[in-house]
Amino acid sequence: MSGITSFIRGFISILQGMWITLQNLVGRRKITLLYPYQRPDISPRWRGIFYLPYNDEAGRINCVGCTLCAQACPTGVITMTKMGAGKHASVNAFTMDLGRCMFCNLCIEACPFDAIHMSTRFELASLDRGVSLLTIDKLARGGADAVERTKRTIEAALEQEAAAKAAAAAAKAQAAASAQPTEGSGA
Amino acid sequence: MTAMQPAVGASTSSDMTINLGPQHPSTHGVLRLMVALDGEYVKSCRPVIGYLHRGLERMMAARPYRQSVPFTDRLDYCASLNSNLAISQAIERIGGMAVPERAQYLRVMLCEMNRIASHLIFFGTYAADIGATTAFLYAFRERERLLDLLEAYTGARLTYNWIRPGGVASDMPEGYAQAVCAFLDGFLKELDAYDTLLTKNPIFRVRTEGVGIISPEKAIAHGASGPVLRGSGVNIDLRRTEPYDAYPRMQFDVPVRTEGDCLARYLVRVEEMRQSARIIRQCLREMPEGEHWGKQPKVFRPAAGEAYSRTESPRGELSIYLVSDGTANPVRVRVRGPSFVHLSMLHELVRGVKVADMIAILGSLDTVLGEVDR
Ligand code: SF4
Ligand code: SF4
Repeated sequence: MSGITSFIRGFISILQGMWITLQNLVGRRKITLLYPYQRPDISPRWRGIFYLPYNDEAGRINCVGCTLCAQACPTGVITMTKMGAGKHASVNAFTMDLGRCMFCNLCIEACPFDAIHMSTRFELASLDRGVSLLTIDKLARGGADAVERTKRTIEAALEQEAAAKAAAAAAKAQAAASAQPTEGSGA
Repeated sequence: MTAMQPAVGASTSSDMTINLGPQHPSTHGVLRLMVALDGEYVKSCRPVIGYLHRGLERMMAARPYRQSVPFTDRLDYCASLNSNLAISQAIERIGGMAVPERAQYLRVMLCEMNRIASHLIFFGTYAADIGATTAFLYAFRERERLLDLLEAYTGARLTYNWIRPGGVASDMPEGYAQAVCAFLDGFLKELDAYDTLLTKNPIFRVRTEGVGIISPEKAIAHGASGPVLRGSGVNIDLRRTEPYDAYPRMQFDVPVRTEGDCLARYLVRVEEMRQSARIIRQCLREMPEGEHWGKQPKVFRPAAGEAYSRTESPRGELSIYLVSDGTANPVRVRVRGPSFVHLSMLHELVRGVKVADMIAILGSLDTVLGEVDR
């Protein structure tokens, strides 16, 4: 008797389970994607591969080489060399070793100049380790060209500053020189 | 070689020692079980751990306080927001930081979302352990939608690092509350159906009912926590007994079952998902306006001392102990993880059961090896 009841109970449970699977089979949209051909919708907040935005107005990347991001990074991903000085500073090397990166967002939050961003690009897999070593040419939006232009902008600004300083010094010297004879003649 | 032999009491020539893992799908990660078998019965079982050891405690201690948060993502990677909360709370306690009220609600909401995601992994993998592949696929489909929501908020799908000392890294994106509510509406309905798929199934019941019974005394003696403890009839939930953040203002039930078997632990977790959904709804409804991040000191050098924070992660009590000597780095970070404690009960639970039941028992403990090995 108990054998029959358990058989019936088992049979009912099979029907129940099949009813649920049937509902799911016909009633629900499938959520899988044929990945390389179909792409997922990625949230704009996605923490993917980094880039250094290029500032068209200023003609340079925003980064001033302050190393705050490198200090905030728990795993030492970021290394850089600074160029320029004072108000006109940037980096001529900025390397991120993504093999060590946790995509934790701490570097982004540390940057006071909004100079480093994360993109929605997520495909990091490659057969070559070197690919995960991002140099500034790969990081800067606009590539090597943007880096070159940044360099020129900084150099021009520095030259201008130096010229202005020289001119100011010359003007001062001239003023001093022209003041001297007057003083001399006055005596 | 002798050191590798499991400690079998009376070993006879009919015994066979086999290795389960470290790449066995039922061990949920890189766990190796050295099992001495007498026919189909388990005579002894010794878990070998450490395959995933990264020295996270030491790594956290070697860095400034606030940089230790992303490392906690790698503890219990199925519920990394809960681990973020544990370390953030410890850092707040040691540094005397306040958390704005809105951030408290955001934290609770995120943690409960992560709890559902984590329990869905349990639900799916447990069903797969027992042999029900369909439920596994359904659970992961629901989880996928939940991860999409977490991705929209935090930008990551697994290692979020979004709950930070002093608050939450960002506020919700626009229209997020509606998206979460829409998900929950659908999810709860689906959950009932999925639950039917397993709990109404006689095979699943036979495999889990009365299997791996943990008595309340044993659970307490081993330091079990979370659903394992509550499945044994001990009503302790840190969200209730030592509430933190916005939990004191939340209304929810703590599911407790007295059977102490695998089925009880399963049912507790399923019910917890429903309660988590309730908590998320309350958070969204009652969340006050305001800041998502409190005032942060520029240089964080807490005074010498210690702090201990206890949180209820999906697996049980996840606690973090910090010692400060007044410098920028902690002296010691210690993680008390639930999975490690639960895994230490395994050898007692599986003595004398059949191999298939051992898998059912291991699955019902829901251990995550990232946190066992650290
Ligand atoms: S995301 Fe984190 S690990 Fe990666 S570079 Fe930034 S701070 Fe370092
Ligand atoms: S990216 Fe930002 S924080 Fe990093 S060096 Fe450049 S300006 Fe400084």
